[in-house]
Amino acid sequence: MPEEMLSPAAATVVGTPEGPREPVAAEPGARAHRLNGLLARYGLLAAFVLTVVVFSIARPDTFPTMENLKSILTAASPPLIIAAGLTVVLVMQDFDLSFGAMIGLASGAAVALAVTFGWSWEAAMLAALGFGLVAGLVNGYLVAVAGGSSFIVTLAMGTVLTGIEYAITSQNTIYSGVSQDYVDIASGTILGLSNMIWIAAVLAAGIWLLLDRTEIGRFMYAIGGNPEAARLSGIRVRTLRTIGFVIVGLSAAVVGILITSQSGSYTPNSGVSYLLPAFAAAFLGSAVFRPGEFNLPGTVVGVLFLGVIQTGLTMLDLQTYIINLVQGGILVTAVLVSRLGQRSA
Amino acid sequence: MSANPDTAVPLVAVRGLVKRYPGVVALSGADVDVRAGSILGLVGKNGAGKSTLIKVLAGVVQPDEGEVRVEGELVDPHGAHQSAQLGFAFVHQELADVPNLTVAENVQLGLGYPKRLGFVRQRELRRRTRVILDRLGADLDPGAPLGALSIAQRRLVMIARGLAADARVLVLDEPTASLTDEEIGHLHDVLRTLRDEGVAVVYVSHRLDEIFSLTDQVAVMRDGATVHASPTAALTPPGLIALITGNVEAVEERPRRPSPTGTPEVLRVEHMTAPGIVEDASFAVRGGEILGIAGLMGAGRTELVRLIYGADRPASGTVSMHGTEVRIRGPRDAMAAGIVLLPEDRRNQGAVMDFSIRKNITLPALSQFRVAKPVPLPHNGRERDAAELLVKQLSIKAASVDFPVRHLSGGNQQKVVLAKWLQAGADVFIFDEPTHGVDVEGKQEVYDLMATLADEGKGVVFISSEFTELVGACNRVLVMREGRLVGELEGDAITDGALVERCYATT
Repeated sequence: MPEEMLSPAAATVVGTPEGPREPVAAEPGARAHRLNGLLARYGLLAAFVLTVVVFSIARPDTFPTMENLKSILTAASPPLIIAAGLTVVLVMQDFDLSFGAMIGLASGAAVALAVTFGWSWEAAMLAALGFGLVAGLVNGYLVAVAGGSSFIVTLAMGTVLTGIEYAITSQNTIYSGVSQDYVDIASGTILGLSNMIWIAAVLAAGIWLLLDRTEIGRFMYAIGGNPEAARLSGIRVRTLRTIGFVIVGLSAAVVGILITSQSGSYTPNSGVSYLLPAFAAAFLGSAVFRPGEFNLPGTVVGVLFLGVIQTGLTMLDLQTYIINLVQGGILVTAVLVSRLGQRSA
Repeated sequence: MSANPDTAVPLVAVRGLVKRYPGVVALSGADVDVRAGSILGLVGKNGAGKSTLIKVLAGVVQPDEGEVRVEGELVDPHGAHQSAQLGFAFVHQELADVPNLTVAENVQLGLGYPKRLGFVRQRELRRRTRVILDRLGADLDPGAPLGALSIAQRRLVMIARGLAADARVLVLDEPTASLTDEEIGHLHDVLRTLRDEGVAVVYVSHRLDEIFSLTDQVAVMRDGATVHASPTAALTPPGLIALITGNVEAVEERPRRPSPTGTPEVLRVEHMTAPGIVEDASFAVRGGEILGIAGLMGAGRTELVRLIYGADRPASGTVSMHGTEVRIRGPRDAMAAGIVLLPEDRRNQGAVMDFSIRKNITLPALSQFRVAKPVPLPHNGRERDAAELLVKQLSIKAASVDFPVRHLSGGNQQKVVLAKWLQAGADVFIFDEPTHGVDVEGKQEVYDLMATLADEGKGVVFISSEFTELVGACNRVLVMREGRLVGELEGDAITDGALVERCYATT
């Protein structure tokens, strides 16, 4: 048996080494599958529109406003950056569970190195990016070259990164002494929109270009579709998988910098809360546009969908536990719906 | 211990088995008698239907027509459990055991371990296993982990498992592959002992020497049907070879390809070795040649060309192109040196199934299709033009080049893989079973394609398990057996019979 890969659309391989292939069971449910496919392809977009409409009706004065749109986009920027980076490794059927910790480490390094250790904010920021680069390289080496399971390797790496974060910051919250120039990175605006939105848009566009337009992107999808065929076609499989982890590491570092810059403070271990939304957005996104395939436009829709739900539910003045229940419920439902599409794809 | 195995009611009687798969008939009328106290040799080429027949007995495959009787009673085993209850036990070529359990735990696996208060009584389990192993004359420690044993010993453990289940019919599928002569001798002794105790043995082998030294009866299968059944003593080795091959040159006569004269050598492989898989293989290919590599499944042909291509790393050996040694550390290096490999297993190694025809074809040489030379962005239109040209040339049947390869038929998938490597271009093309799953017409196209490449001065290496196509297409054929290149035929010496003889180790 070939090793099952953790993937939304793991190809099922039928056939025996010798003799004819086992016949694939005739599919009486082919029509049901097509229906599921339609549901999956447009289901998320429909749900997205529906959610916007429902919230706009429920809170006509506050929800459908330019101010709110800006705030939703601003809030969605850090998750978009990390989800976009994550999409690159997911395309190659790899996982990265260390980016939550990496976000924490980057925010700790960027703030504490400047405030506690007296570095210039530029140097501290570069150090944060350096950590992201190295973490990505190490993940990539352990997974793509040494052959470790990306799931376990990055889970373990996350613990290591959190350890480094605590070593730098001693787990102390830092809320004063942050340079105004540093704060301006995220808080500044261009053409009335937060810098964060612009940064996220540029990075997402860059990753879209990489995945959908460049040779490297084509190769990454080939690796995800059939790593052995890709290798035999002369593609540098190890290098590209490593690049994927480096992109996630750097994305996480950028997010760590932006969230501390935005708040002008550092809170220990703040990155873990990005894990679920980023994965959820990427998986939701794999149901739209190109069902069964992780894709950057889909990931963007996934992030915005989650952002709208978050903001909308908050505006309804619901109690926190209800927000959690509803949010979790919507997520599970949406992911299930998208699974239907992937099975039929 | 049946006194007269020829007249006794057969223990197992297989009649008129037919099994069809989409596009392939695996069995087209198999009749086999298996008698208690007798060893039946089941022989035939790859794809003759032996494996499917065994799968029917094992309850893995249900036949479309025909019947199986055990002691005269009609049976229809569904699943391994029912098959075992009927008294069948199987030793497959690929070991189906659990290496991290002990010998005793494997022997009694699924038969119910002796227990007290829900805990397995290890001592009793080992005692019972000891009894069975003694019966086989196997000096093995029942408490040893199976993974620590040799392949030969593990096969014995599998036989012991059959005995523990009270098997009356023991089916062994090429059990001597990768065993030493001494181990083979011991295995044969064990089987003779079991036969004398009244067990029916079905022995599948490609080695005719074994068939003659071990078996009492022989059944020959060809193209899914039983074409001959008789006592072994009534046959001679040449007679058996004739029965296996069918001795009919039914394939469209192609004029023998002449060996090129005066063309330079393109590829030279020397002392290629991966211990236990490929041993010291050396050969050369000249421009304009179609060099066949014949051999049975597991002979090491695929492994050899994967070593050359850098898909696997050899322990030693060198590859030279145009007289210059090249260092190949991976497929990239091989492609750069001018070698391409069409892998045997197109689903897992050849095509990216979710990619379109276009994306598959341009994958190995994507940089040829940039929007501008220094800009690594593929130009879809240029890709499409190239893909459409190849789709036309190879008559690939698809609505458009943007159609996913997954939804193509097997033969068309194979052609996409061919197209992909033609697009990449090379000086040496290695085709590993390129006609697998391709229909007759498509096969001719593949042969023509290889001839065209050779006529252009390329070196072509053609691996096939179908001897007739090697006879028809090649000007020279190497024979590989048990990891070694053991023979070479050129020109008119390439015949079906000569290939069978050399592949089946009749000496």
